[in-house]
Amino acid sequence: MDTFLAALFSGTSRGAIYALVALGLVIVWRGAGILNYAQMGQAMFSTYIASTMIINGNSYWLAFVVAIAVGAVMGVLLDILVMRPLSNKKKTELLSSESMRAAIPVIASLGILGVLQALAGIIWAAEERGFPAPYAQEGFTVAGNVMPFTSFDVFVITVVLTTLALTTLFFKKTGVGLAMRATALNSEVARLSGIRTNFTRSLSWAFSGAASSLAGLLITPTSNLSPNTLDLVLIIGFTAAVVGGLDSPAGAVIGGFLVGMVISFVSFYDTPEDVFLAILAVLILVLIIRPRGILGAKDARRV
Amino acid sequence: MLEVKNLVTSFGSVVALDGVSFTAQESKITTVIGANGAGKSTLLRTISGLEHAASGSITWSGKSVLGMRAEDIVRGGIAHVPEGHAVISELSVEENISMGSLFRRRKFKADVAAAQDEVFELFPRLKERRKQLAGTLSGGERQMLAISRALVSRPKLLLLDEPSLGLAPLVVEQIIDSINILCRTTGLTVLLVEQNANTALGVADHGVLLSLGKVVADRPAAELRADSNLRAAYLGY
Repeated sequence: MDTFLAALFSGTSRGAIYALVALGLVIVWRGAGILNYAQMGQAMFSTYIASTMIINGNSYWLAFVVAIAVGAVMGVLLDILVMRPLSNKKKTELLSSESMRAAIPVIASLGILGVLQALAGIIWAAEERGFPAPYAQEGFTVAGNVMPFTSFDVFVITVVLTTLALTTLFFKKTGVGLAMRATALNSEVARLSGIRTNFTRSLSWAFSGAASSLAGLLITPTSNLSPNTLDLVLIIGFTAAVVGGLDSPAGAVIGGFLVGMVISFVSFYDTPEDVFLAILAVLILVLIIRPRGILGAKDARRV
Repeated sequence: MLEVKNLVTSFGSVVALDGVSFTAQESKITTVIGANGAGKSTLLRTISGLEHAASGSITWSGKSVLGMRAEDIVRGGIAHVPEGHAVISELSVEENISMGSLFRRRKFKADVAAAQDEVFELFPRLKERRKQLAGTLSGGERQMLAISRALVSRPKLLLLDEPSLGLAPLVVEQIIDSINILCRTTGLTVLLVEQNANTALGVADHGVLLSLGKVVADRPAAELRADSNLRAAYLGY
């Protein structure tokens, strides 16, 4: 029973972070039609900035806010300086096939990931460093047993659930949220409605950048920080997004928690070495049973 | 007045509009008819900024709209309802409508609500279904929704692309009637593209006949309708 509870708690906390990463991927995929492989590179970069600020004596919370803001700004810059010019119809019309045109942003995002990792290595040296947690990382004691569930886990879950709730409200209740959804679903109809789709698209990038930076801040206290540490998080987050349905924000959240649980239960009941095998199994299973993910749309989309 | 002069639009080596010139009078219904592939949709898409013209000019009320972005052209009072009941299926009826007035919601808050009430009055079926997803509507209702989305942006010029496509005759009549009433009562200028020439010429004041990207006739609608030679040559009935 103790093992079960432990796995459940740890899975919730990890799952919350993967949900955030997956949500970041899904928002840009829907908003701009691009799979952003650089996402966790951006998160790594802004976490390094936070780390440097803390080392230089700034408070954790200031660094926390700055890192999220930097994440958002990096997202917008990536859109305006790289992705928008690359998706320019006139400039890419020489490329005959549609799939080649779709491959350009993917290659670009991989390139940016490489550049960010190299830059981080040059600026901050490539060895691992720790990243602080704002709350204690000792487990709660329940009936004399130390549980693997800490105040920091409570913090992680609270922050992520609040973010998810606010995001949902923003998309459902505000005009800008409606404009962003419309752009994602059908940008031509959105433009004909007077929505400035370049702006709403940049907002998607900003949102995704902020969400992944938050994920970076929340995961590095337990995994340390180096230019490459978040690669694994991207892979897991990507799996979560595909499992949930790449075009569904709600699916991303479900996928994140599901994958978090799988990882946690496998490492508690089996061994941590089998974690990736288990994720791969879940991914293949979902792709066979529901190729579009748990909440993915049917073929009727893209009209 | 909408003035189109020597408009050329091409896709690669295919010339879709080959020097099109015509005018659409204010507060009148002008219809553009012609066979499939005549360039009717391209014409509307070029006016609304979705396609880029290679040369020529488009002016509305004396101001050039050529080269402007689609989203800014809407804001300038030209609304386009593209072919195929263009609504967003995953959004509710209400959301589809309010989408069209998002850009006005700060400056004209009261009027945004009034505009929504007006389209619900024009198409009461949409009011009943306001909470439903647009994807659950019938073809006719979707077309009404697409028109409503355009109307709440308070256009002076409405570009309608094949509103009758795939709809039952009774529904077509209802939609065409609504457009007619709007034009006559509010002074809206309408540019109506139709393959169904008879219906279009029946309601329009003026008709422009396109064939292979060129204007072959530009006359009062009643005259065009009566010209059996033209009909036989270009419309095949």
